[in-house]
Amino acid sequence: MGPIPAKRIKTLSVARPIIYGNSAKKMGDVKPPNAPVEHTHMWTIFVRGPNGEDLSDIIKCVVYKLHETYPNPTRTVDAPPFELTETGWGEFEINVKIHFVESASEKPISFYHHLRLHKYHNADASGIKIENDSGNTDVESIFYDEVVFNEPNEDFFKVLMAQPGYVLPSNKTEKTVFSKQLAREEIDRINIGISKVDEEIEVLKEKLSVLTKS
Amino acid sequence: MSSSDIFDVLNIQNHRAGSPGSSGHTPVPSRTPKLQVSGMQRELYNLLGDNTPPVAVQKSNKFKDKMRTMAKPSPWSFAEFEPRQSVKLRHWVKGSKELVEQQPQVNAFEKYNTKLTIPEFTEEEYNSFMKDKTGKDDDSKKWSFRDVRQLFDLCRKYDMRWFIIQDRFEVEEQRSLEDMKEIFYLVCHQYFMAQTPDNPLVGSLKFSKEKEVERKKYLQRLLSRSAAEIAEEEALIVESKKFEMAARKTSSERESLLRLLDSPNSDKPIAQFLTSQGMTQLYNSLLSDKTKKRKYEQTVPENPWMKQQQQFAQQKQQMQQLQEQKVITNNKNINNQTQVKKTKKQKQELQIAVKRKADSEYAEQLLQNFTAEERRSLGVQTHGEKLPSGAYLRSTRISTFKAATQTKIATTLQELGLPSRPAMPTSEVIQHHELLLGRISSMLDLKKQVDKLEAEKDIKK
Repeated sequence: MGPIPAKRIKTLSVARPIIYGNSAKKMGDVKPPNAPVEHTHMWTIFVRGPNGEDLSDIIKCVVYKLHETYPNPTRTVDAPPFELTETGWGEFEINVKIHFVESASEKPISFYHHLRLHKYHNADASGIKIENDSGNTDVESIFYDEVVFNEPNEDFFKVLMAQPGYVLPSNKTEKTVFSKQLAREEIDRINIGISKVDEEIEVLKEKLSVLTKS
Repeated sequence: MSSSDIFDVLNIQNHRAGSPGSSGHTPVPSRTPKLQVSGMQRELYNLLGDNTPPVAVQKSNKFKDKMRTMAKPSPWSFAEFEPRQSVKLRHWVKGSKELVEQQPQVNAFEKYNTKLTIPEFTEEEYNSFMKDKTGKDDDSKKWSFRDVRQLFDLCRKYDMRWFIIQDRFEVEEQRSLEDMKEIFYLVCHQYFMAQTPDNPLVGSLKFSKEKEVERKKYLQRLLSRSAAEIAEEEALIVESKKFEMAARKTSSERESLLRLLDSPNSDKPIAQFLTSQGMTQLYNSLLSDKTKKRKYEQTVPENPWMKQQQQFAQQKQQMQQLQEQKVITNNKNINNQTQVKKTKKQKQELQIAVKRKADSEYAEQLLQNFTAEERRSLGVQTHGEKLPSGAYLRSTRISTFKAATQTKIATTLQELGLPSRPAMPTSEVIQHHELLLGRISSMLDLKKQVDKLEAEKDIKK
């Protein structure tokens, strides 16, 4: 039995932005000595803050579960930076499991990331991926998300309040894509979508009233 | 089989008929007159034998009750009257002879003996008021004054009974009934126009021959239908009735559906339903709506004992309330009174709300040292709601829909050029995204409804 869990602070939530994803680079003739012959790419999967913070104040370790064909497919990274570099030839889903620090006494969160090695000319319709093709050989697939600690316990709350963790760069730049600017742009886009849908709703309502009358 | 046979079988000496000595003479006819009976009844009477009952039970002839009225009969007298000159008739009238003879006798049916006033005119008059018509109308040309005169005479004579008039009308050429009616009304109209043009009734003297002919043709057709045609028509009517019923049913169903969809009105802001309290309210209202709709309510037989107990409990509560009210009025504390009235559930809710309020107050207290800007940079916010505690990724909490709806929503988002998962799922972005999803969902609902209605309309056509 562990220590008695500290009291949770009700009706309060703390959000921390995180960035996860992978970068990949085609290997030329220069290959790491231990890499198998068929491996063509070198990739790095990472979890970090929007400004490159290591997030070690909340994250204890990150477990990456790779494809079974890799030796020891479950890789635990228990020190910042929480990233893993490997070589390979194919894309697959990587299971990412983030374990939080002891004081948080929160369950780990788990999600999947599709490892990307190749560029697609047709951008994915979902538009999630922010592609950053600097040079022809580099591929990046990065996602922004927020870890929300709903009703954190008091100890962890102090940790969270110790330093401002929700700091986004104000402007979009080459390096920091996820910024306040991007969020604003996104809201604007969504608002445009809402107004379009509203227009459509009006049209349909008109139709409906005509049809029900007749 | 008669009584003697039975006596024979039972070996009983018939003291009268069975004695050998008296076989020579005829049996003495019984004193009671033989009843006129037949069939089965006669057989039964035969079985009776000599043991006839001493008194024949017969229905006594019942006479009519005597008149018991004490009033004197009113006198009626046979009086003479003259319905018209040279005719004398007699009829019974109530009243004594002297009284009746004092009054002049009138025919009670005289008032029904009425005559139509049909205009009379000379040839000159006819020509004068018909001159503007004869020029135009070809039909009226054929009608000579003589014919018209004859027609009017016949009308007068037979009280405009057209079939008789047509029968009695004597001209060389055959005239249809409609022709006759037409000329009659035309002449009448012209006549009265010349005499009293101000009379408002002149306008009603109109006769449309075409319409009359059409009406008759229609009736002809209606009456000359064959049995099969009638049957078919009836079947069609039944079918149409069925269709109407079905249409009415679907429309009523649709109305109720729309009402369900409309509460809350989809065009109203949904902000009030975004809080958990608003949500429960909405849920409850929808739920109660549903129960109202339910046709077959389970009726649990009442337990009279329970009812009694409830009554007792109510009385007790009322007594308590009265007492408490007294106390309260003394203390001038109205707050308690309202709380007493609340049910247990409400109390519970209140407690929860109070607790939550305390929680959020505590949370606020913790954050009181931070400005809004600082709070933002810390990513902390107080939502004041009951949400499952724990850590999660914000993007995983985007609302999902039924599989079919989900794909439709995804398509719509694609059409709008928006991603199904926002690139930056910050709380603000997600809030907007949720709003958008709600709108799209209601739009899809509407679209479905419209499509359905249009399809139905096409079918109706």
